[in-house]
Amino acid sequence: MSVINLEGIYTAYEGGEKAVIRDLSLLVDRGEYVIIGGPNSAGKTTLLESINGLIKITHGKATVCGLDLSAQADEVRKKVGYVIQNFYFDPFTPFTVEQVVMMGRFGRLGLMNRPTKGDRRAVQKAIHLAGIEDLAHKTIGTCSGGQQQKAMIAHNLAKEPEVMMLDEPFSNLDFSAREYLQEVFKELARTGVPILMVAHAFDGLPDIPIRLVVMNGGRIAHDLNCNAGEVESIVRKECGALDKDKTERRINAGADHTE
Amino acid sequence: MLEPIIQNNVVCHALEAMIFASIACSILGVIISRMNLSSIGFTMSHAAFAGAAVGMFLGGNPQISAIAFSMAVAALIGPISDKAKMAADATLAVLFAMSMAVAIFLISYMEYMGHGLSASSLLFGDVISLYREEIYALAAVCILTIIFILVFYKEITALMFNMKIAEAAGIRVKLVYYVLLFIIALSVALSLNIVGGLLIFVLLVTPASIAGQFCFNVKSMFLVAPLAALLVSAFGVWAGFEYTLPVAPLVALLLTGVFALSVVLSFKRRINTKMH
Repeated sequence: MSVINLEGIYTAYEGGEKAVIRDLSLLVDRGEYVIIGGPNSAGKTTLLESINGLIKITHGKATVCGLDLSAQADEVRKKVGYVIQNFYFDPFTPFTVEQVVMMGRFGRLGLMNRPTKGDRRAVQKAIHLAGIEDLAHKTIGTCSGGQQQKAMIAHNLAKEPEVMMLDEPFSNLDFSAREYLQEVFKELARTGVPILMVAHAFDGLPDIPIRLVVMNGGRIAHDLNCNAGEVESIVRKECGALDKDKTERRINAGADHTE
Repeated sequence: MLEPIIQNNVVCHALEAMIFASIACSILGVIISRMNLSSIGFTMSHAAFAGAAVGMFLGGNPQISAIAFSMAVAALIGPISDKAKMAADATLAVLFAMSMAVAIFLISYMEYMGHGLSASSLLFGDVISLYREEIYALAAVCILTIIFILVFYKEITALMFNMKIAEAAGIRVKLVYYVLLFIIALSVALSLNIVGGLLIFVLLVTPASIAGQFCFNVKSMFLVAPLAALLVSAFGVWAGFEYTLPVAPLVALLLTGVFALSVVLSFKRRINTKMH
């Protein structure tokens, strides 16, 4: 059975009338390394947030880790790691990096339960994996953008997730940090955890079979298997083709206006 | 509770009420200011003010209607923003204006009808005519607030860090958030008689802002904010009765003065400025 099973789902933001994801189906198995590409506003982030139950699915069927997403979104979120896009913590944020990483365990712990030794061990392991031991006692707001990004990755690693989703996780990181963390995710995939990563830059991808999903207009435009070296050229080609179609439609519409 | 120490019953009741109100409000204020919920707290406190005016106008219990009003406003923010397709801040501004209009309309009408004294206590508070039951209720809400913090400490800190990240981590954000709003409504409504609708917000926000100038972590903020509020309130009550000054505005002014001083003295701010 697939870890993620989406069948003809539609999702819309609260208060929004138009569906952002439309009739989308996707099966993701254990240990798959999925890169999600596509132009801006293709619905990539919305797809991740739908899988995590942060956005309600209005139509269609969805199960994640064997749980029905529409009925058990809270439970799904405890099992799914999700590194969000665009966060900023002001310099006065009164939490250390270690405390923030520990917060990744809170969902699993459940209401009112206190962290145990096991939780503290998981936190130390996540901090070690993300390579931020020297930042553990630093206030997160005083860390650089890249350090904050690593802390958020550690926050999700500490969760020991059954699915790991990352939304442009390397945007603030230098090449060596990207390459290193990609290896960490490769290891995670090897243990059976599927990785779903929204990305615009594809350098440093691990040398393993990669499934590339290209989205456009809230739908999956292409879904294919490839290797790390091919990802960029395929996305460039697919997005280029999509943009070309768009450009042609725009030019034609402009011509209609002028006639 | 403080009768063995303070012989004068009026002063004793005023001090007790002020201590409980300032502890409850300042603890909640730490959460409100960190979660950027100041506008919600502001609107809820004025909704409680309007609710109390409605209760008084209808001859019912002003505190119950104050709680109901502020809860209703908290519950309406989301749906109104969605339906009217506008930002939550604009919705809050509309609800705040509505609350103030309802309160001022009813207070003016009651003054016209000869109920001016009780109505004006809603505006400016009335520490000298508190009932024993009101002080017990404030003590209960103060204990409830402390229990809420102790029981949900890890969830509250995660919400204070970032609500979206907390939700993505699998924390039951909505449950904790609505309990928080309920306790804010309760604290605000019960404290209304002491400091009044126009000044209640000072108790919510200023002690937390003072603590924010010195504290590097949340635990110390939860200790420093109520301590600052308690000391300033106690001093305000003593000075108010000693020099025949209006207690609630005096406490508000003193808290603002301490805040200004803390901004000048803040070593935390200086450290952060150096680091950036």
